[in-house]
Amino acid sequence: MSDAARRILKPELGGVVPGGLESLTEDELSEFAAMLRAAKLGQSEQLEAAVDEALEIVPRILRRPVRKILFG
Amino acid sequence: MKGYLSPPVEVRKLARLIGADAEDLAYFERLEGQTIRDLRDQVTVVMFDADRQLLQRVATATKLIPAKLAAVIGERAFGALLCARITGLLDPSRAVDIANHLPVTFLSDLSLHLDPRRASRVIGEMPPAKVAAIAAELADSEEYIAMGGFVGHLSKAALLAALDAVDDESLLRTAYVIEAKQNIAALVALLPEERLDDIIATASSADLWIEALDVLDHVTERQRGVLGDLAAAQDDEVLDSMVRAALSDGLWSEVLPVVRAMSPESRKRFATLKSIQARRVLKTIIEAAAEDSLWAELLVLLPLLPTTARRQVAALATAFDRGTFEEIMSSAHEEELWPALIAFAAELDKGPRREIAKLIDQSDADVLESLLSAVHDDSREADLVAVLRELSATGQRRLGTRIAAAPTEQLDALTEAAEAAALEPLRKALTK
Repeated sequence: MSDAARRILKPELGGVVPGGLESLTEDELSEFAAMLRAAKLGQSEQLEAAVDEALEIVPRILRRPVRKILFG
Repeated sequence: MKGYLSPPVEVRKLARLIGADAEDLAYFERLEGQTIRDLRDQVTVVMFDADRQLLQRVATATKLIPAKLAAVIGERAFGALLCARITGLLDPSRAVDIANHLPVTFLSDLSLHLDPRRASRVIGEMPPAKVAAIAAELADSEEYIAMGGFVGHLSKAALLAALDAVDDESLLRTAYVIEAKQNIAALVALLPEERLDDIIATASSADLWIEALDVLDHVTERQRGVLGDLAAAQDDEVLDSMVRAALSDGLWSEVLPVVRAMSPESRKRFATLKSIQARRVLKTIIEAAAEDSLWAELLVLLPLLPTTARRQVAALATAFDRGTFEEIMSSAHEEELWPALIAFAAELDKGPRREIAKLIDQSDADVLESLLSAVHDDSREADLVAVLRELSATGQRRLGTRIAAAPTEQLDALTEAAEAAALEPLRKALTK
């Protein structure tokens, strides 16, 4: 595995970078790492917004126990 | 094509996972398909693990509310992507309950984002009718990659229902991108012969031979034979289109094993097709045989080719080197195809014939024994003598002395052939 692939992708891939990426340039690796970062961030934001919206839909009587499970 | 993962297909899967356009990841197509798959596996892990805690809590909270309400919340608040992330964290029967309250369009959208391996039990418990409806929806939107991901996780009943719900073209396109290629044989086993017949006709009419031959590459040898026979029973136009595709897309390495698996009658029909007689077609067939060591596949075809085509192949074989002839002989020995090789060798030009004669002269005792026995069983003595004629007198004597230890009936027939061909050194050595 190339050093560049390891250095650039490791933080975004949970420390595990598969081999065989040697032919990608640093620019391409960086672009992919940024896309991954954005995808993870987008998913987290979407999830948080969805949880808030869900709590609005859950009947009042269930909101407390549901909130307790979600946020402890 | 065995074990081959198409880079563009793998790039599309990776792009979907991170919500990107496949075009933006086009540079990944330079990599091996397996590398992209490995990368996608790791991206799947991080995407699913990124919010695992909260996703798990949402899944747990879902238990508190009725399935119908969970479906409403899923559709309105979470959307298809997040529901896909949560699906594998739900109890399977609960997930199916919720799915039953969701519209098919939403479920098909959800299935685009689902990692089937993480939701295998849920997929396995989905009712066949629901699966069929989702499959039809996915086929309509040409989402073959997503469909292919579910094969191997669906129940047999659901798979049958899905197969009924999609047309032949969708089925071929799905099979091509199927995640678990090892399941293709089981999938084909579920299809009745009439459907397989239609699918082959579709491969021709929709120009999907790459997809169809990939399927044929992943079925069992018996299925390959059945499918090959079905193909051979179609009109010339169907087979001609396969030949054209094999020629233009370099698919002979996939076609030749199918031809070998066919019944002798079907193979003969294929061998006498007008479209394979052209020199450039025969040349690509031979190149593929050389490239992928498909000599046995070629040897079963050779005796069935019309004389003119066989002569063309013989002319092309003059370019073979000694190593190639060694490979061919080794295939003939291992696959018990000596008669085909000897008959072909007898038609070769002097040069290549001499190479084969020398290799026979230098062969091990067990190779020579199996050759002689096969030649005798097939009454090919005259052809063998025609090849051995190219040996020097010393070579003939040396080989004849070795052959002299063969069983009497083999020896007599060969001596007779040597005599008829006036090959004195060989004849004398055989009768010593």
